[in-house]
Amino acid sequence: MSALIRIRDLGREYRMGDERILALRGVTLDIHRNEYLAIMGPSGSGKSTMMNLLGCLDTPTAGEYWLNGEEVSRLTDDALARVRNREIGFVFQTFNLLPRATSLHNVELPLVYAGVRGRERRERAAAALDQVGLGHRMDHRPSELSGGQRQRVAIARALVNQPSILLADEPTGNLDSVTSDEIMRVFTQLHAGGQTVIMVTHEPDIAARTERVVVLRDGQVESDRVNRGAAA
Amino acid sequence: MILRGIGEGVTIALDAIRSNKLRSALTILGVVIGVTTVMAVASLVQGIRRQIFNAIEVAGPTTFYVIRYFSQTPVNPDRLPYEVRIRPVLRRSDAEAIGRLPEIRYAGIWVQVFQKAEYQGVRTQQVIIFGADDRYMDIQGGTLLRGRLFSRAELSGEPVVVLESAVADRLFGRLDPLGAQVRIGGISFRVIGVFQKPSNIFEPPGQATGGVVPFAAARESFRYDETNALFVAVKPRTGVAVGTAMDGVTVALRRSRNLRPGDANTFDLITQDQILDVIGKFTSYFFLAMVALSSVALLVGGIGVMAIMMVSVTDRTKEIGLRKALGATRRDVLWQFLVEAATLTLVGGALGILLGLGAGALLKAALSLDSAVPLWSIVLACGVSVAIGLVFGLLPANRAARMDPVEALRHE
Repeated sequence: MSALIRIRDLGREYRMGDERILALRGVTLDIHRNEYLAIMGPSGSGKSTMMNLLGCLDTPTAGEYWLNGEEVSRLTDDALARVRNREIGFVFQTFNLLPRATSLHNVELPLVYAGVRGRERRERAAAALDQVGLGHRMDHRPSELSGGQRQRVAIARALVNQPSILLADEPTGNLDSVTSDEIMRVFTQLHAGGQTVIMVTHEPDIAARTERVVVLRDGQVESDRVNRGAAA
Repeated sequence: MILRGIGEGVTIALDAIRSNKLRSALTILGVVIGVTTVMAVASLVQGIRRQIFNAIEVAGPTTFYVIRYFSQTPVNPDRLPYEVRIRPVLRRSDAEAIGRLPEIRYAGIWVQVFQKAEYQGVRTQQVIIFGADDRYMDIQGGTLLRGRLFSRAELSGEPVVVLESAVADRLFGRLDPLGAQVRIGGISFRVIGVFQKPSNIFEPPGQATGGVVPFAAARESFRYDETNALFVAVKPRTGVAVGTAMDGVTVALRRSRNLRPGDANTFDLITQDQILDVIGKFTSYFFLAMVALSSVALLVGGIGVMAIMMVSVTDRTKEIGLRKALGATRRDVLWQFLVEAATLTLVGGALGILLGLGAGALLKAALSLDSAVPLWSIVLACGVSVAIGLVFGLLPANRAARMDPVEALRHE
């Protein structure tokens, strides 16, 4: 089976004035369908850069990135936007919900950009909210929801386009431990249902619940191991 | 794709307006003022035009005039060009020759002069005094309120006057003007009647009709310029087409002036249509100039929209980043902010239209003008408002569209 994500010698260089900073220096990685993977590393290790590249928010300065059979490392901005819309569901640390929109409308947003029309859009958004256990909070605004509920809305929004990858950036970073546990169970369930999940985190106990942990250091892969204890 | 953008954009825009009422109010204030100004000016000028046209049509669409030389602007009497100087000055005999034609009901030589009237220390502004005859009101419209018109004997040059009622009120108040001696341009005239000009007539300041005196009396009493002030008023008989009557007048005048077939006319005929045409042209330039000037207010409004949209784009950097992460293309974001700007300015335009209608109604009351806001100007104002939003929203919207999603998401 071919890899869902195929990364070869991926590099990303930033210029700050005359200085060149190599945030990633030659990362090679394959990620398969229905993997549950954590990317770890100390700050400055290239985690965020990796996340931006995986999420097609940014393009590499070296190497190749094949996503779902398509080489996406050389695409234009608008082509990348369409790839993000189709292939990637983002979950952010700070939720990033539109404050004045209802849960339902927040979840509809990716469908708006996918060109899905009114009725179907609402039905699919409602189904996604049901899937994360928030079917009864559709008409609430983010300010009327708890932190855990907000993150569930964000997860529903990430799922609504049935993306190839669910890409979560420190999804429990702003939550207490009980709520974190609750959100991690949602991810585990989604993975059990066949969803590919990639999580960027610096918390070992979060990473411990995934099946594979990739550790970055100084822009390179330091270790890449299967997490035996995760099945529990 | 575009329709979806509009629906989504309008929802977002209305949301943004609700969530930031003060800022939105300031954003659209300039547009509100601009549209109000344009609407008020448009309705004012429209009212003036209509009033002028009404006034001229009262004189009867069949009346036409013979004049020494017709040009759109009065010629300077002290420096007449050659082609004017070779033309003879109009005489009473010209009017008499025209009046003898079977197709003509009336022809009379008239003169108009600008003078002030005075009675026991009370003075009027400069008004138009017509030197005409007892048929004046048949031709120009109006009704005799008191007294009488000129007798046959008075027509030979008696210093008598029929005053316009507004002038009579100004000079005499509650006193009886009949029989009193008023001074017009320093010459004493006896008041024999008071008439009222047609009620819907429009007269700019200094162009109000003040009274009518016998032509012979006007000729003896006042200095006037024989090119611009002197004319023959001609009214065809009922049932005679204006064109036919004008042909008859042309033939008769050429014969009485002994012109040969190849010679050019030594007089001009002007019809109401031509006068309407000149006034129409003049007022449409005026109209354009006024609208152009008031458009400056709209321009200022547009710049306000641009400035505040810029702030709004910076404020919502994170939202823009999120939308891009979720799959919004540059065009989606550009379109969102353009629609938002256009929605804002359209709301501003709608308020401006309401205020403009109010201002129009006030002007109508204050100037007793028949001012009406034409429907097309409402449609146009809406269109212009939307266009302002689109034009001045372009720069901020483009800035939003070009944001880098990674940078934008990181923005706090």
